[in-house]
Formats: sequence, structure tokens, C-alpha cells
Amino acid sequence: MSAMLANSRRNYWRERGAIDMQGMVSVKNLTKTFVSKEETVKALNNVTLTTPNNRILTLLGPSGCGKTTLLRCIAGLESPDSGEISIGDEIVWSKTHGISLPPERRGIGMVFQSYAIWPHMTVFGNVAYPLQIRKTPKQEIEERVKKILDLVQLSGFENRLATKLSGGQQQRVALARALVAEPKVILFDEPLSNLDAKLRESTRQELRSFLTELAISAIYVTHDQVEALTISDEIAIMRGGVIVERGTPQDIYLRSNNPFVVDFIGRANFLEATVKGYQDENHAIVSCALGDIVCSAPSDLAPGTGVTIYTRPESFEVAPSSSSPMENEFEGTVTDLLFAGEAHEAEISVGGARILAKLKFHIPLKKGDKVRLHIDREWCRALAPGEEA
Amino acid sequence: MVPRPGPRGGGITVLERKSALRFPLVGILILVVGALTVGPVVMLVVGSFSEGIGALGKFTIDKYVAAYTDPVLPKTLLNTVIFTIGCASFSTILGGLLAYLSVRTDIPFKGLFRVLPVVPMMIPHVLFAAAWITLLNPTNGMLNLFLRNIFKLSSGPFNIYSLGGMIFLEGMLDLPVTYLVISPAMYSFDTTLEEASWVSGASNLYTLRRITLPILRPAFLATFTLAIIRSLASFAVPSMVGLPGRIHVLTTHVYRIISIGWSPDYGRAAAIGLIVLVAAIILVYLYRYLIAESSQYVTVTGKGYRPTVVELGRARYPLFFLCILLFCFLVVIPLATLVYMSFLPYSMVPSARAISMMSLRNWHTVLANPITVRALKNSVFLAVVGASLAILLSLFVAYVIVKVRSRGSAFLESLSFLSFSFPGMIIGVGFMWFLVQTPLYATIWGLLVAYVGTYLPYGIRPLRSAFMQIDQELEESARVFGASFLQALKDIVVPLLAPGVISAWILTACMFIRELSVSAVLSRPGTEVLTVEIMKLANDGLWGQVAALGIIMIGLSTVLVLVANLLRVPLSHAE
Repeated sequence: MSAMLANSRRNYWRERGAIDMQGMVSVKNLTKTFVSKEETVKALNNVTLTTPNNRILTLLGPSGCGKTTLLRCIAGLESPDSGEISIGDEIVWSKTHGISLPPERRGIGMVFQSYAIWPHMTVFGNVAYPLQIRKTPKQEIEERVKKILDLVQLSGFENRLATKLSGGQQQRVALARALVAEPKVILFDEPLSNLDAKLRESTRQELRSFLTELAISAIYVTHDQVEALTISDEIAIMRGGVIVERGTPQDIYLRSNNPFVVDFIGRANFLEATVKGYQDENHAIVSCALGDIVCSAPSDLAPGTGVTIYTRPESFEVAPSSSSPMENEFEGTVTDLLFAGEAHEAEISVGGARILAKLKFHIPLKKGDKVRLHIDREWCRALAPGEEA
Repeated sequence: MVPRPGPRGGGITVLERKSALRFPLVGILILVVGALTVGPVVMLVVGSFSEGIGALGKFTIDKYVAAYTDPVLPKTLLNTVIFTIGCASFSTILGGLLAYLSVRTDIPFKGLFRVLPVVPMMIPHVLFAAAWITLLNPTNGMLNLFLRNIFKLSSGPFNIYSLGGMIFLEGMLDLPVTYLVISPAMYSFDTTLEEASWVSGASNLYTLRRITLPILRPAFLATFTLAIIRSLASFAVPSMVGLPGRIHVLTTHVYRIISIGWSPDYGRAAAIGLIVLVAAIILVYLYRYLIAESSQYVTVTGKGYRPTVVELGRARYPLFFLCILLFCFLVVIPLATLVYMSFLPYSMVPSARAISMMSLRNWHTVLANPITVRALKNSVFLAVVGASLAILLSLFVAYVIVKVRSRGSAFLESLSFLSFSFPGMIIGVGFMWFLVQTPLYATIWGLLVAYVGTYLPYGIRPLRSAFMQIDQELEESARVFGASFLQALKDIVVPLLAPGVISAWILTACMFIRELSVSAVLSRPGTEVLTVEIMKLANDGLWGQVAALGIIMIGLSTVLVLVANLLRVPLSHAE
């Protein structure tokens, strides 16, 4: 993203004077059940959620977890069974108050998975549509569409038929259309899943910087963990119609309290451990197959409690051989070694357990080697007992 | 390169053997299909410039002069335009509504809705028209009599012998076709396009006007065009309703030229027929263009989120009953009328007296008449033998179109597509000129050839899509393991194809049983067929016999369908 472009985006934001976009979406006790011939599915089970203003919140979860249903309920494309939804300070749906605003009166923008670009209209026609409905003067429509197309780098494409564009360009038309009427909040329904892998990666970054620069309130639905981690300010993880955990990407990745989340969001080594004591409020000393380890932990575990700790394969590093042993160092044997492009994936046997570690290339390794590894205390985490995966 | 011996058959490679076998196949097919489809068209052109059926090749333009200075022609053309546009509008709107209700809304008994609009295809058009005539004719139509009694009217209120009556009947008969063309467009319609509009702030009505209808426009226009083609070619309703009502359209105009008066003028018929043919060909290309256009609007959809179902709310059951009423109009009322009429000496409103007068006399008369019995035999022969030959030929053509990608196969495809538009009545006149030159003239085989030629596209189309569903590699692997081309065809392709072939056979056989327009031109004493006999009985006002013979005819189709379905079971086990 060029500096000039970033600048023009900041200007766009200032011109609009849209500091407070009232983009807070709050959902209370939302329930939605789908009934089909074979089964009844609780797509949303008493979900309560308040999204942050001017930030990107991602709803992440495996397919069928209810994330898209939640998004569509917020958009008004789906009717919940019970609960309440408000956008900004306006209640848009409420069972008890008997309020049900149709989607067109909720003041939102949305980017669809299929982009939903209208095939019979040009790029200009697609982007101008929301303004035409609002009876914006012609002159102003032209100016605003031009400005927003500049912003998404589609100037000069105004008169093309929108369906004649590439996937990435269509995606940007969809984004421009969602932005042009300055909605309170923008909803994204897996907007990148129709792009090929390489384009997806670059678009992800563009979208992230774009949205943060405009300081837009956005709710973003995806099933792709990496996408969620890179694009979000906050992530809410859903499973079986329930939000199981919410936090910043770092929290979710490194300091989760939910074994399902740990497993879903990336690869992890799980080890049985016993709490020995606390080093400070957030760090416990546990005893496990790696020896005695300091790890981040919930602050209320009694000594002697059996817990599960988890580590990410890429958080291990080979300990410098010269220095004296540091905290969280242990020795293991390489039992298997896989070449995986950017690193080795090594299976290490230690204290009767096997762990997977991603190790850099500059240390020569082969099967059967003894190796000393180190892991930072922040990168291993004790899960509170009782959380079921 | 030194040719190496193939696995079998010395000194000739698989590839060479393949082309050696396929080239004559494509060539022969082009000859046969060309003779059957282009042949009659060429003869129609030649005939229109000839002095008479016995004087082929003696050049004259008299026929054109006579045909186009005919004082009734302008009125006929105007009638045709009103009739075709009326039918097309009526059936497109009806088909569009039904498709919308069954695909996009929560109307009750959805499964039923996928079947109902197609059921009327089973009813022969002649009978459909006959039933409604006995209900709505101005003198003693049963419904008219009934309404007159209630409202104390001296005449009316309905007159089926009018352009409105013709449009009403033909429009309903075209409904299955329009429904079948529109509903795929409704299915593939990406509902997120509408959602995107709502989210942008547009109301339902605005979305319908700016998004839904414009996107569906090409599909609607294509359907409309197809309905125009169908009603332009239609003969049953114009002859049953239009002739007595003296409302002539082009097909009946041509029919009058060859059937009324002392010497039928096939040259003048050909001269008029040519403009109908040209119009139909132009329309069918327009149709092809519109279908291509509408498929351009089909966007790649994402994960296939269940499309939003439009909730009808309180209108749900009223709309459902409206559809049921329509179905009654299409099937129940005509069938019930026919059954009822077949037991009565003349039409009368159901009453105690009517019941007391019921007898089997019509049935006895029909079955004792040697001509109708012969017509029955002929129709069965044409359906069974004709459909079998047509399907056999279609099989080869469809195979070549799908599997052999060459200029020859492309030519075959456009031939079969082109003849799809040919109106039966006009092509019948072409066949007349054609068959007179052969010993087949006035034999049942002549009719058979004309049937196969005219309706070949209807056999090729379903088989073509059946072939497309069979992966090329299945056949290729048989070749690799040592089967010859014909062996692979027999062992692999045919068994996989069997269900599709049987369906196509049923369709073709039923179509041949209710064929009217070609037969009306070519049927001669000795080669009578059921539909033409029914038409003659109707002309004489013998509605009871029409009904009895009609029910026999519907029974025949049903038996055909049942027998073919019984055959399907062991064949599909062979897979």
C-alpha cells in the first residue's frame, strides 16, 4: 500500500468527520433454530455480544457454528426466534418490543461471499446504487462514487460491466458499494474465500490497512484462522451456536482458556501437568513431561491441580549450547524430521511425551539427535481444568 | 514413423481404426439427417416455384403471385400476430408466476409444484381443445348453458370460437414449455443479488424493479420467443377452434389451401409456408441468443447458503388454491368433460336426465368403425416403430455431437437445432413434395419418415445431455483394455445410457401418438391416424365419439409409458 494512498484515505476519513460512526452492534440473548425434515439445528443459542466501535470484530468458527446466521440476523436477512439486536443506539430487532426493521432501514453495508455484483450494471451503476436509493443529487453521486473508486483503486473502470472484472476487482467493487453510503457498520461474509490463495493473502493485508485507516466498525465472518488473526482487532470464536471465547488475536492464539479454541486456531502440543505454585499472578510453575515449566495461567489454580498446558510448534527454539540453562529449557530426542519449506517440523520425544516443534534451518538436525529446546513462558499456557474440548 | 501393430488387428493403430470407423459414420449421419431435415425444406422451395405436384421443376412464380395477392392474407397475418403474441404473453406470465411460486416462495406442497405444470404435456392438444369447445361453445357449451341458467341470460356468456378463446387454450397448452424454460433461470438466480440490494437500502419493490426483473429479463424474453415459435406452429387449436370460428392463422390458411376445393394447391401452400418457416428460423436464432445472454447473468455463487425463501404470509393458501384452480383448468376439467361426454349422445349439463341417457353407444360406434380401428392400429405402429427408429438415429447423432468433435459433428448439431424450429404443418407440405417423388407416398412408411424427420431434435436433445453426463474416460478405459469402438459403445456407453434412452423413447412415442400437424397434410385413406380422425369427428360435431376415441388415445399413451417403465427396471439393473 503506497504512502500516498494511505494519506488520501486518511483525508477521506477526515472530510467525512465521521469520528463516531455509531457502529456498535449489540446482540442480546439471540436464538435461532432451523427446522428441516431430518433435524432441528440451533444455529444461535442465546448469543450475547457487543462489538467494539470503529474496530474490526471477527466471528470465527468451523462451518455450521452459526457465525453466518448471526451476521445475517444483524443484517436483517434472517429473522431470529428471540432476543434483541441494536445497531448504534437504535433497536433494529426485538421480540419483546415487536421491532423488526427490514435490512434496507438498518443503515449497514455488506460485502457478500459471492460479491453479489449485479451483472446487468456497470461498475458505476453498482457503486452508485445505494446513493440513488437515498435520492442523492446526481452531481454528488458522481463525486462520491469517483472518490470511493479512487480509494479502492478502480478509477477508470466506471463504465465496465462489473462481471467482466477479475475476482479481486469485483471484490473491490463490492467493498466500494458497501462503503459509499457511509454505513454505521460494514458486514463481511467470508469476502475472501472466492479468491485464489496468493491474491487472498495480499487482499487480506490491503483490507486490514484500509479498514483500520478508515476506522470503520466492521463485523467480519470467516472460517479461516489465519485470515481472522491478521485482519481483526478482536476475535469471537463460535461453536454450536455459542460464542466460546473472545479476545485479541494474541490472546486467542497464545493465551486461550478453551481447548477447542486452541485446537481450532492452529496446531498445538497438549501436555498433562500438575500445578506446583505461582511465580507471579499470571504465571504458574507446573511439572510436566518437559520438566518444571513456567507458563502463563489463570490466576486461581490451587497447587496440586492437574491441568493441561499447550504450546505452539513454532514457539520452540533450539537453546544456545554455550550458555548456562535458562528457564523452560529441556532436552529431547529427534524421532522424526520433516522438511516443510520454511522450517523443519521435528517430532521430539521428551520425558515420555512427543511434541511437535518447528525449528529453523540454520541448526543442522537429523533423526536420533539429542537437542536442547527452549520455550518462552508467554508461549505456553495452562488451561483451566474443566474446559471440555 | 513406422506403424506398429496394434494390440489386435495387424498393422493398424487404434487411432487410425477409430477415424476409419467414425468418418463414414459422421458422413452417413449427415446424409440421413440432412435428407430428413433439409430435404423437405429444399423440396418446399423447389415446389413453391413449380407448376404443380405432378410438374416438379417446371419453373413459375405464379404460386407466389397467387399466394401473396390473396385478399384474405392481410387479415390472416394480423390474426397470426395477435394470436402468437397473445399466447406467448399469456403463457410466459403464467409460467413465470408458477416458476416463481414453486422455486422462490414457501407455497405449500412444493414437491407437487415441480410436477403439476408438466402434467398437461400428456394431454393431446386436439382433445384439450375438444373438451373446452364442448364446455364453452356459444350455442350449447355446457358451461355456457349452466351460466345462462343461473344468471338468466339469453345467450353467451362465453364464445370459444374467438381469438380470445384460441389464445386462452393455446396459452394454457404452452404453459409446460414456458415453465420448463423459466424455472432453471429462477433456480440459478443468486439471491444474494437481492440481499445486496436490500442491504444497500432498497425496498422489496425497488429491488424487484431494478435488480430481479432486469436480471431475469433475457430468460423471460427467451421464453416468450419460444412460446411465439410454438404458437406460430400450432395447428390443433387453430383448426379445432379457429376454422369453425372463421379465424384463420397461417397454419390453418396453409391447411385450407391444400384441403379445401377440388385441387389442393401444394405450390401455393409452399409459397406461403416459406415465410412461416423463415420467421420460425429467425425466431429460433433469437431464442438461442437470448438463452446465451441469460446464462451470462448466472454468477458463480459461493458456499450455497440456503437461498432466502420469500414468505407469502397470508397470501400463501389463496395463491395455492389459485394454482390448484389453474391445474383444474389444465387437466381435471378437460379430462372429466371428455369422460362425461363419451357416455352422452349430445352435450347437456349434468342432470338426472343426462345420467339416465348415458350409454356406451359412442364407444361401440367408434370401435365398430373400420376406419377408426385402422387409425388406432396405424397410430400404435407409428408410435412404437417410429419412436424406436427415431431414438436409434438420435442415439448415433447425439453420440457424434458429444463425442466426436469435428466440423461434421458441429454441422449435425446446427442441423438438429435448426429443424427444432420447423412448424410441422409447413414441413409436412415439404414432405408432401418430397414423398410424391418416392414410392413411400401415401404409405404408412411415408408418414413414419416424416414423423422421424420432423421430431428428430426432440430425440437428440435429451440424449445429447445424457451423453454429456458420461465421462469420456469411462469409454476410453474400455478401449485401453482392448475393446473395439463398437464393443465399448455396447458394453459401457449403452448400459449407462439406458435410462435416458427409455425416457426419450417414451417422450417420442407419446409425441407421435398425439401428432397432428404433419399427419393432417400427409394422412390419406388407408393411412389414417387417431388425431386426424378425431379432428374429422369434431368437424362433424360428433363430440361423444371424439371423447371416446380421445380417451382410448390417452389410454394408449399411458400403456406405452407403463410398459416402457417396466422395461427400465431390468435395464438399469444391468448397470
